[in-house]
Amino acid sequence: MNKVLVIDDEKPTLVMFRLTLNAYGYTVFTAENGKEGLEVFERERPPLVLTDVKMPGMDGIEVLKRIKEIDPRTEVVVITGHGDMDLAIKALNLDATDFINKPIQRHLLEQALRRAEERWQLALDDKDEITLEAIRDSAVMHLQGNLATQSEPRLQEAYEQVVAMGKQRIVLHFNKNASINGAGIALLTQLLLDAQKQGIDVVIAGLSENFRKVFDIVGISRLVELRESLEEALEDV
Amino acid sequence: MKRFADISLKNKIFFANLVVILIISAAIAFLARWILVSTLITELELRGIAIARTIAERGSGYILDKNYPELLSLIFDEAKLKERQHLVSYIFITDQDDKVISHTFTRPFPEEFREANLVPPGQDSSVRLYMLGEHAAYDIATPITQGIYRIGMVHVGLSKDHIDSLVSKLRSAFLGYISGIIVIIFVLSHWLSKYITMPISKLMRVADELSRGNFDVQLDLHQVRGGWEPHECPAFARDDLPCWHFDRIDPSMNPSENTEDELRTCRKCEFYGKQKGDEVAQLADSFYNMIWSIRSYRSRLHESEEKYRSLFYSGPDPIFVVECSSFEILDANPRAVEVYGYPKGELLGKSFLELGSENTAACLVSFDEQAGTQGSVFYPKVMHYRNGNKPFFVSLHACPISYRGRPAIIISSTDITEMIEKDAQLIQTSKMKSLGEMSAGIAHELNQPLNAIKMGSDFLAMAAEKDLDVPHEQIHEVVSEISIQVDRAAEIINTLRSFGRKAELVADRLDINRPIRGVFSMVGKQFELENVRIRLELSENIPHILAHDNRLQQVFFNLVANARDAINEKSETREGAPGGTITIRSYQDGSQVVVEVYDTGIGIPESLHDKIFEPFFSTKETSHDMGLGLAITYGIVQDYGGDIHVESREGEGTKFKLSFPAAD
Repeated sequence: MNKVLVIDDEKPTLVMFRLTLNAYGYTVFTAENGKEGLEVFERERPPLVLTDVKMPGMDGIEVLKRIKEIDPRTEVVVITGHGDMDLAIKALNLDATDFINKPIQRHLLEQALRRAEERWQLALDDKDEITLEAIRDSAVMHLQGNLATQSEPRLQEAYEQVVAMGKQRIVLHFNKNASINGAGIALLTQLLLDAQKQGIDVVIAGLSENFRKVFDIVGISRLVELRESLEEALEDV
Repeated sequence: MKRFADISLKNKIFFANLVVILIISAAIAFLARWILVSTLITELELRGIAIARTIAERGSGYILDKNYPELLSLIFDEAKLKERQHLVSYIFITDQDDKVISHTFTRPFPEEFREANLVPPGQDSSVRLYMLGEHAAYDIATPITQGIYRIGMVHVGLSKDHIDSLVSKLRSAFLGYISGIIVIIFVLSHWLSKYITMPISKLMRVADELSRGNFDVQLDLHQVRGGWEPHECPAFARDDLPCWHFDRIDPSMNPSENTEDELRTCRKCEFYGKQKGDEVAQLADSFYNMIWSIRSYRSRLHESEEKYRSLFYSGPDPIFVVECSSFEILDANPRAVEVYGYPKGELLGKSFLELGSENTAACLVSFDEQAGTQGSVFYPKVMHYRNGNKPFFVSLHACPISYRGRPAIIISSTDITEMIEKDAQLIQTSKMKSLGEMSAGIAHELNQPLNAIKMGSDFLAMAAEKDLDVPHEQIHEVVSEISIQVDRAAEIINTLRSFGRKAELVADRLDINRPIRGVFSMVGKQFELENVRIRLELSENIPHILAHDNRLQQVFFNLVANARDAINEKSETREGAPGGTITIRSYQDGSQVVVEVYDTGIGIPESLHDKIFEPFFSTKETSHDMGLGLAITYGIVQDYGGDIHVESREGEGTKFKLSFPAAD
C-alpha cells in the first residue's frame, strides 16, 4: 500500500501533501478536482484516497460515492474544514473510512495513515474484525478494522456470545485502527440499546479521537461510559 | 385757475351754482325790466293816444259848433272816468290857432304848455315829457281833424308819477320773485354740493384712516347695503363652496388655470351685486367692497406673515437669508445662531461660503442655474462648520426671494449629522450581518493557507526531526510557499478589516473595480464551492468616482449574495444543473461609470421590481433576512449621486445596473 491519491482544489495543499507523503514513503498522485481525481483513481487504483470535501464542481462527497462504487474496499479519508463534523458524519454514512480536519495536524495525519494501512492489511489478511475475551467480570469485545454493514452478522453473533458469557459488563474495546461508518454506528446503537434493556453495563474503550467526537455528536456517548484504554475500563469496576 | 384748485369741491359746486344763477337772474332781470317797462310805458302812451283820439272824434263837432261847455264836459268825463283819473292828469284842447278852448286844469292854464307839444304836420300824434309844476307828465298831442283840415289839437297829460308807481310795483314784484328763486337755488345748491361731497369727504376720512393702517375703521356707509355684511356671503370662509371672488383671494390658486366654467358665482351675488341708490351710494358700496377686500387681504397677509415669521423664528432648522451675488448673510434666525455657534452680529454680514466648504459654493452655483426652472433647490449632505471649525452635515434647501428689494436666497439648513451617523450605524450593522453570513466561507478560505502553512512547517519539522535527506529545492519550495500562504491569509484579513471598518465621512476618489475585486476575493472561492461562478468583465482605465471603498463592497456583496441565492433557488426549485454564473461588468457610459451585475438565477417577478428596494421587503421567507440588503444598497448608491435599476425575467436571471457620476 504505497500508492495514495490526494484530491484537493488547493494547489499549495497538494504540494505540501506530495512532499509530506513522499517523505512517508508513498507514491503520491494528486488531482485538483473531483473529475480529475476519479480519472487518476481509475488509472492507478490506489488503495488509499485523501479527498477534500469542499471543492468546486464535483465535491468530495460525490468523489467518495463514485470511488466506493468503483471499489468499495478503498480506504477513503475525507478532509473536512475546521471542525465541520456534520460533513464528517455525512461522509461516514457514505462509507468513508476516516476523516481528518484541516489544518492537518502531522500526528493526526500520521495516525490516519497508519490506521488506514492497518485496516487495509486486516482486509488483505481477512482477519476477524471482532474477537471476544473474558477479563475478570467483564466481557471484552475487541473491534478492529472497518465496522460497516457487512459486519452485522458477526457483531450480532459476538453480542449473543457476550450475553451468553453472563457477564454484567461489556467492554467494547476499539482498536486504534477501528473505523465505524454510518451503518456501523446504527448497528452499535442498536446493540447498546439492547444491552441497556437487559441491564448490562457497556463501557467503550480505546476509541480514536476522531470517532470519540463522532460518538459525542450522534449521541452514543450518552448511552455508555467512554474510557481512554482497556486497562482503565477494567479497573473501573 | 390755480386759485380755484385750493377751494373745496363743496364750495366749488356751491359757488359755481350761485354765480351761474346770479348771472342768469341778473340777465333776466334786466331784460325783463327793459321789456316790461318799455312795453308798459308804450301801452300807457297808446292808451293816452286812444283817449285823445276818442276826444278828438267826439269833440270835433263841438269845436265846429263852438259848443265849448259840452266839450268841457266831455273832456272832464274822459279824464275822470273811473280809474283813468289816476292816469290822466290833465286834458286840454286847442283850436287851430293854438288857443286853448277847453281844459281840465283846476287852476289857470299854464301858458307854456300851449305850444310846447305841437304835432308836426303829417304825424297823427306826438308824445313829450313835461314838468307840470312838481310833477312830470307825458303830454300826448293828437290833432282834431275835419276832412283834411286840422281844426284843433287834443293834449292828454299822462301822470308820470302814476306810471312810475306802476313800473316800480312791477319791478319790486319781479325782483322779489327773482330773489325768492335765488334763495331757493342757494339753499338747493348748498344741499346738492353737500350731498355730493359729504360721502366723498367721508370716504376721504376713511381712506386716510386706512392709509394710517387702521383697518378697523367703522364705515357708516354701509347703511347703503341695508345692513348686509360680507360674512353673510355663503362662500365666505368656506372651502366647499368656491366662489371665484373669494377664491381669487387665495394666492395659492392660479386663476388663469381655471376655465370660465369652473368659476362659480351665485345667481344673485350679494357681494358684488349693485345696490339700490344713486352713483354716490354705488360709489360708497364699491368703496365698502374695496375696503372689505383690502381688509381681508391684509388679514391674510398678516396671518401669512405671522405664520412665516414664527417659522423663521421658532423653526427647528437654521434659516439664512443670503444675498444673491455676494452670498452675504442678510438675516439669520435664532436657531442658526444656536446651531452655528456664532453670535448673531457676527453671523450677519458674513459670507455664507464661510460656513461650509466648496460644496456650498457648488450648491449656490447650481442654484443659479436651476432655480429659474424649479423654484427651489435641495442639496443633501453638505459639510458645514460651526464656530471653531467643528464640522457637521447639513442638507440645504434654497429658494429665491426678494429681500428688501434685493434678490436673495432663503437657505434652510437641516442638521443631518445624527441621521448620517444612524445611516452609518445601519450600514455598519448590515455589514456585520454580511460578515456573519460570510464567516463560514471566510473560515474555509482562511483555512486553506493555514493548512498549507501547517503542512509545510510540519514537513520541515519532520525533516529536521528525522534528519531526512530533503533536497534543497524542496525546502525552498516549502518555505516560499509558506511565505506566499501567509501573505494570502494576511490579504484575506486585510480585506475583511477594510470591509468591516466604518466608512469615513468624506468620500474618496475611487476606482470602482477595486471594491468589486475586494468582494470577489472574499466570496469568489466560496461561491465556487456552491458551483456559482463569478465572472469579472472589468474595463480598466475608467474614470474614478467619489465613494467609499467598503460601502461599495457592501453594495456588491449584497448584489452577488442575492445573485447567488437566486441561482441556488433556481437549481432547487427547477430542474436543471446546479450552479450558475454571476457576471460583473464595469464600463464607462458618457459621464457615467456603470456597473452591471447579472446572474442566471431564478429572476424577480415583474410585479416585485418596484418593491425590492423597499426596506423590510424580502423574498427569502425561510431565512431570517431582514429585507434591508437592497434598501441599504439603494441608499448607498443614492448617496454617491448614483442610480440603480433592475431588469429581470422570471426564470432567466436578474440584472442590476448601477451608474455613478464620474469624478472630475
